[in-house]
Amino acid sequence: MKVGPVSENRLVFVGSAKGETLEGEIRSPREDSDETALRERCRAGDVSAFEQLYQTHGARMKSLAANLLGSRSDAEDAVQETFLKIYRGASSFRGAARLSTWTYRILVNTCLDLRRRKGRAPDTAAPAESGEPESKLRTPAADHPLRLDLEASVASLEEKHRAVFLLFEVEGFTHREIAEILGVPEGTSRGLLFESKRELQRLLRRRGIAGEARA
Amino acid sequence: MSGCRRFEEATRRDDPGAWGALVAHGSECADCREELAAWEAISHAAPGLKKSWDSPQLWPRIEAAFAAQPAEAAGSAFPARRRFAWIPLAVAAALFVVAMIGLQVFRPSFGERELLTSRSLPKNPLLTEGTLTEVEKSEEAYVASIDRLSRLAEPRLSQSDSPLFVSYREKITLLDSAIGDLRAQVEQNRYNTHLRRELLAVYREKQHTLEQVVREAKS
Repeated sequence: MKVGPVSENRLVFVGSAKGETLEGEIRSPREDSDETALRERCRAGDVSAFEQLYQTHGARMKSLAANLLGSRSDAEDAVQETFLKIYRGASSFRGAARLSTWTYRILVNTCLDLRRRKGRAPDTAAPAESGEPESKLRTPAADHPLRLDLEASVASLEEKHRAVFLLFEVEGFTHREIAEILGVPEGTSRGLLFESKRELQRLLRRRGIAGEARA
Repeated sequence: MSGCRRFEEATRRDDPGAWGALVAHGSECADCREELAAWEAISHAAPGLKKSWDSPQLWPRIEAAFAAQPAEAAGSAFPARRRFAWIPLAVAAALFVVAMIGLQVFRPSFGERELLTSRSLPKNPLLTEGTLTEVEKSEEAYVASIDRLSRLAEPRLSQSDSPLFVSYREKITLLDSAIGDLRAQVEQNRYNTHLRRELLAVYREKQHTLEQVVREAKS
């Protein structure tokens, strides 16, 4: 078993061949108290607390939103709308879930809402917009031979399957966190991940790249 | 897909040991070996989908949007509407009374089990197995009813930008958030009466809110 950084702020045990995280998400008491303090400042309407939340999670939120919406400008709109909702509703935050989890839940709902309003599926390659070249979109491991096909295939998954796949495989959330974000049991999160990967395999085969998928 | 059932069984199970056994099994089973390789290839390629770009204007935009909110917006939920908050509450209370009267009048014709309400749960802090089954059936009934209402309300909710429907959307977002919190807690402690009571109350509130949306959409 190895211990490795999966998300920006915490360590998780990575123990299985699936690369899935096991029980032990390590969260220090210090992190918990930091989170509590940040939550209280947000509840009090302290704008600097929201800025801290943005500095910590903004990049990951943009990435998730860009993959859910397929557009960088839509992703930024979704992040902005999410922060507005948090700002307006901070005092009603119940505190049972972590502030960050609550934030991602609102983000996912906002993205799904935006997509429904626009009535379209995400563009597959998240093209650069507003004049900036595509090269400015930095994607780690961007040269992976499967990336573009995988991106197109992920875009055609059903909503919940796509969300679970992106949260787990791309953004590195644990199933426990995904369960909180999507409001489903942990087992359902695992089941959705299994189904999404099976569907992705099927879609990749249809694209005629089964060979590479097995490389 | 692998013709071997062990692959699906292992990938569905929440057990790293089962996965280890599958890997070992893969050395003998060509089907599973291929599936494992394809499965791993997807996981290895997935981090490449992560997007990263600079947005120097985004935080200032958000900050400006905060500033455009009513002064007391943060720190109190929707206070700008507080002055008129009694109106929807009064309407909701009146509708609730009418609905309860209707329920009492027509209940015999339903011929079905009455839904548990948060108040009708026992005072005991832990549920018995029998009561738990009842509560879970009630929750399922609420979820089914909410799904039905959501389908009816969805077109109007997603298309209308009127302040009323924006407000409904935000309320539903907050209720969904509360439902998610409570479900996650209930998952850890299924027998806790207090959590079940709160969950039923929030379900009922969401059901009620969706009914209001449907009614508004019709009028």
